[in-house]
Amino acid sequence: MSVLIDVQGLGKTFTDTTMRLGPKRPPVRAVESVSFQIHQGEALAVVGESGCGKSTLGRLLLHLIEASEGRVMFENRDMSAMSRHEIRQLRQRMQMVFQDPFGSLSPRRTVADIIAEPMDSFGLTKSRKDRREKVAELLDLVGLPPSYMDRRPRQFSGGQRQRIGIARAISVDPAFIVADEPVSALDVSIQAQIINLMQDLQEKRGFSFLFIAHDLAVVRHVADRVAVMYLGRIVEMGTKAQIYSSPHHPYTEALMSAAPRPDPAARSNRIILEGDVPSPSNVPSGCPFRTRCPLAAEICSVERPPLIEVEPGHTAACHFATPYPIAQRSPAT
Amino acid sequence: MSDRLLDIRDLSVEFGPVARPLRVVDRVSFSIDAGKTLGIVGESGSGKSMTALSVLRLVPEPPARISGQILFDGRDLLKVPRRNMPAIRGKDIGMIFQEPMASLNPLMSIGDQIAEAIMLHESMSADRRRERVLDLLRLVGLPDPEGRLGAYPDQFSGGMRQRVMAAIAMACNPRLLIADEPTTALDVTIQAQVLEMMLDIRRRFNSAILLITHDLGVVAEVCERVVVMYAGKVVEDADVGSLFANALHPYTQGLLRSVPSLTDTRKRLYQIPGSVPPARTIKAGCPFRPRCPARMDRCAVEMPPLVPYAPGHRAACWAVSKEMAE
Repeated sequence: MSVLIDVQGLGKTFTDTTMRLGPKRPPVRAVESVSFQIHQGEALAVVGESGCGKSTLGRLLLHLIEASEGRVMFENRDMSAMSRHEIRQLRQRMQMVFQDPFGSLSPRRTVADIIAEPMDSFGLTKSRKDRREKVAELLDLVGLPPSYMDRRPRQFSGGQRQRIGIARAISVDPAFIVADEPVSALDVSIQAQIINLMQDLQEKRGFSFLFIAHDLAVVRHVADRVAVMYLGRIVEMGTKAQIYSSPHHPYTEALMSAAPRPDPAARSNRIILEGDVPSPSNVPSGCPFRTRCPLAAEICSVERPPLIEVEPGHTAACHFATPYPIAQRSPAT
Repeated sequence: MSDRLLDIRDLSVEFGPVARPLRVVDRVSFSIDAGKTLGIVGESGSGKSMTALSVLRLVPEPPARISGQILFDGRDLLKVPRRNMPAIRGKDIGMIFQEPMASLNPLMSIGDQIAEAIMLHESMSADRRRERVLDLLRLVGLPDPEGRLGAYPDQFSGGMRQRVMAAIAMACNPRLLIADEPTTALDVTIQAQVLEMMLDIRRRFNSAILLITHDLGVVAEVCERVVVMYAGKVVEDADVGSLFANALHPYTQGLLRSVPSLTDTRKRLYQIPGSVPPARTIKAGCPFRPRCPARMDRCAVEMPPLVPYAPGHRAACWAVSKEMAE
């Protein structure tokens, strides 16, 4: 499969540009030296807690914000070197699905207008009749009755609104979709419906997918590969099987262990990380995870661990990266 | 049964015209013993939060009409005059809500807010009160309590604010703690910390906890008993072990099967079709019927009663009762 998106050393630093008096706030390094590739038809999940830079990464890939360093290649073309016109043409091939389906749908417009907007703006709708037919087809594809097209978003439940958002995103038959926490705001029984829908659509339409989430369990069903982010950096990345069966980074392991499991018998010795995620404007020296890491040793405060390959296709950034559970490891002295 | 702390019997909450009421909580009954944790699980619109708010008498009447009994330590809270409720709230019953920022006063230091919760119910010298506030902050695991007394809510992270909320809730050693989605807005690693803190509080004070959540994982992790609600009704209640090992109601089974898990190798998630119906549209019969894989003719006519099928395990489903009869 060919590479659709190639991310090379991507970084984004937000600086305080307000005109207010007083000292400027320190710059925030939201994303730092991130590199990976997404192949055609592949689903990559990016997982991490709030403030880890996962949403910023999604926006960088769509070129909604300018990168401070590095570049994003879309089909071997550097997006930062493209003209505004070229970027606009590219937008037809990349779409986004948002977390809050109501916040991203205009309450005044009908479902048909909302879904057809991307097609309208790229001149893909020939006549009113053609437009209605296309919208009907899309509604059917996402599991909603076509008769809903003249209603407005407030008449729908959260799950239905998310279906509308998805119909809109796939309307222009994009090659790449970024979904930013698409199921986090939904009830459990609805979450499963939307996850299955997205899987089906991806199989049918063959688009590539960046799925942003904070929950490793949700991602398991959607992703081919998983990247775990912490404070703007990828700390571990690998195929689904590699990440779930042999996580090498203590943060990945802690994330999995912290998720409450629906099984009272497994009420367990969870790894409970201490403290909060440090502020991205004041990242600890050395390894950014060391302040919460159960394995942290002296070297961690001095030297930042590089992202190294621990097995083919599986990378981790930890001085003690090994495939053994934390409980069985002791930090090297 | 002397240690039965909270006993809710036939609690109903209605809105709208008497002739055509909108019943958001429908004849709900359950009880909690001292030192135990009971979880109410349900999706949006199941009536779980409304049930919790009624226990605190925080549902304004009118417009709401509340009936049934809420026996707290033998006394019916629904018969307590409204003006006497503030003496119970915060003293005998503490509460933690989902959005700590919306419940904390942004213009008051956290030390003062916790002290206020104590002052409302107990008189003591300022020095002793300060000691008590520090003890509470240590209890909820806030780092550097002395240094943070004068800090304001916006200086804390979400997890730390939830700890401050817990300190306020525990200010007068309440016998019952009501927590409505206390960890929903938090990151997983912080959620684990807050759940651990709640369990720790329970161990130390033998308080009972009423936990409202949509997350079955959280229930499995901290509760002893579980009540599953759907469209205002209790559809199943059981001890946590028996619910997860042997869920009876098709809704509970569906919920359990639709939770994504870290270890699961299924290609597709199980999905419950459709969504929770708006309260207005629910007519006679079982509200889960349109989404239920086991529905029968009878379900359209008559709501199944909540009946026991095993010790401490009840469900409201005609299909289950038929299966058990066979």
